Amino acid sequence: MARYLLKRFFLCMIAVMFSVFINFALVRLAPGDPISIMAGIEKPNPLMIEALTKKYGLDKPIIVQFGMYLQNVFRGDYGFSYRSNLPVTTLISERVGPTLLLSLTSLGLSILLGCWLGLRAARKKDTLFDRFFSNLAYVLDAMPNFWLGLMMMLLFASTLKLLPTAGMIDVRAGYTGFQNILDILKHMILPVSCTTFLMMPGYYRIMRASALQAMNEDYVTLFRAAGMPRKQVFRSYVLKNAVLPVVTMIGMSLAYSIMGVALIEIVFAWPGMGRLLLDSINKRDYAVLSGIYLILSISITAATVLLDAVYAWMDPRIRLS
Amino acid sequence: MALLEIKNLDVRYIMKERQVLACDDVSLSVEEGDSIGIVGESGSGKSTMAMCVLGLLPKDTTRTSGEILFQGEDLVKLTEQGFAKLRWKSLSAVFQKSMNSLSPVHKVCKQMFDIYRVHTPGADENACKAMAGALLDKVNLPQSVLNLYPHQLSGGMIQRISIALCLMFDPALIILDEATTALDVVTESQILRELTKLREASGITCMMITHNMAVVAGSCDKVAVMYAGRLVETGMTARVLTEPRHPYTQGLLASFPTFEGKKQALKGIPGSLPDLSGEIPGCVFAYRCPHAAERCFNEKPVMTEHEPGWKSACWLGPR
Repeated sequence: MARYLLKRFFLCMIAVMFSVFINFALVRLAPGDPISIMAGIEKPNPLMIEALTKKYGLDKPIIVQFGMYLQNVFRGDYGFSYRSNLPVTTLISERVGPTLLLSLTSLGLSILLGCWLGLRAARKKDTLFDRFFSNLAYVLDAMPNFWLGLMMMLLFASTLKLLPTAGMIDVRAGYTGFQNILDILKHMILPVSCTTFLMMPGYYRIMRASALQAMNEDYVTLFRAAGMPRKQVFRSYVLKNAVLPVVTMIGMSLAYSIMGVALIEIVFAWPGMGRLLLDSINKRDYAVLSGIYLILSISITAATVLLDAVYAWMDPRIRLS
Repeated sequence: MALLEIKNLDVRYIMKERQVLACDDVSLSVEEGDSIGIVGESGSGKSTMAMCVLGLLPKDTTRTSGEILFQGEDLVKLTEQGFAKLRWKSLSAVFQKSMNSLSPVHKVCKQMFDIYRVHTPGADENACKAMAGALLDKVNLPQSVLNLYPHQLSGGMIQRISIALCLMFDPALIILDEATTALDVVTESQILRELTKLREASGITCMMITHNMAVVAGSCDKVAVMYAGRLVETGMTARVLTEPRHPYTQGLLASFPTFEGKKQALKGIPGSLPDLSGEIPGCVFAYRCPHAAERCFNEKPVMTEHEPGWKSACWLGPR
């Protein structure tokens, strides 16, 4: 197990180094002047040119530049946003919390809901329940997230006036303590449900398919023939075998679950990283984009190692091979 | 009284637009201590019959009629609770695909102990270990396999564990559904020898489902040949394999190589199984039979006894 994890960790370190290198190389390999790319404007003023040249050592040999770049990255210095003139780290750290709150809550809910419905549908294959949720999964899959967000906002916020239209808190109310938490939760309902509805079908389908496959395995027939009650076979054996592909899918969809909420953040004016990312793309704020890219790739790689550990813990074929 | 008496068993698989008659009027008797081989090509209904005896056919997609009398109880009418009392204590099974017959993510000990505890609730760890140790001894496996996962074992070892599992409560009848098909010939032969020894030592009745005539010749006293859901010939293995009466049994035997006699090309049976979703008024084998006469296509042949215990269903008699 330790050897397997060490190997995964080593591979992930290579992936991180590769991401860092790509991030460094892209600006320098892109057509045009790297200073204008870093500055985000075509004709930066001489002071800015001088400052950027000095900061990134652009007059030095490329290998020295890479060394300086690595030093900055490991110090957590991703430079300054040319628009807001704030350190990129500050900008990202302000936004990462709301994004994680939105994306991880939605991810958790979609895994729980998708897996529970998928398992039920597999046990009730070809019944009305199975048909309804299998078709609903297709409908939800085909739905653009911003459209669903707008429709939900139109219905629950504008028409029924049950929930707030946008934002993360009611700025005018100035709640504190428990009231503030309740206010955030109330603001979370629409964006979280919208994201959950869109991520849930994937988990539903994979859970249903793998549970059906596990239920038809020979060991299930053996346990049934041995007199083991259906429920015990399902709980003790089918479930553990069926859940393995779901763990793989979580790892694969981690990046999407964090950045895929960007449009939802815009629709619901959620102050997250997705919005910061899209704003930075629009304004060509390279320093911010580069910072987000690096932080994302490092955190997703770390999460992948964690999920690999979970997978290895659950599947002895991986752990002991 | 026979241990297992199957009378006029019909099993239909119900699909959306059609029904497939997988077992058609099958009648078979298995005496205590018998070792009977059920042979036939894929789709002949052997496994369906076995699953029906074990009560494992899905109730919503199959329709069963007839009688399966086992220790005086009709298994066709038996409820799930009724089966729960019979399973493993009186009736156990070994299935094919050895590599899949144990859960890949659980240790062997957990799977053995869980089955044991189904029938002996509250059994402690020591009792479970003692039971597992005794069973593994029977199939010549070391106790260390208990702490291993299935992927750490060979196909032969897993199949030995499956055999050990089915002997857990000394059942009256063991059904071996293609139990050695997935194994290499050397392991297959070892396991069959061990199985014969165990059977002779404990007097367990065996129903061995296979498509391999060599397995039947080496391990079974009696044989029943099935084709397209119908039983076409049954009798003592020594008699049926040396003087087969039914053209299908003759074709099946001609498809297997032999070390005796003149070297000759193997003969297959031309054609394939008929569509079992339609009504077949005559003999199911008539369409592939080299001797078929007009009557064979129109009238269903009845089982005729040639010698005590040796029957075949063919209008044309012995050839």
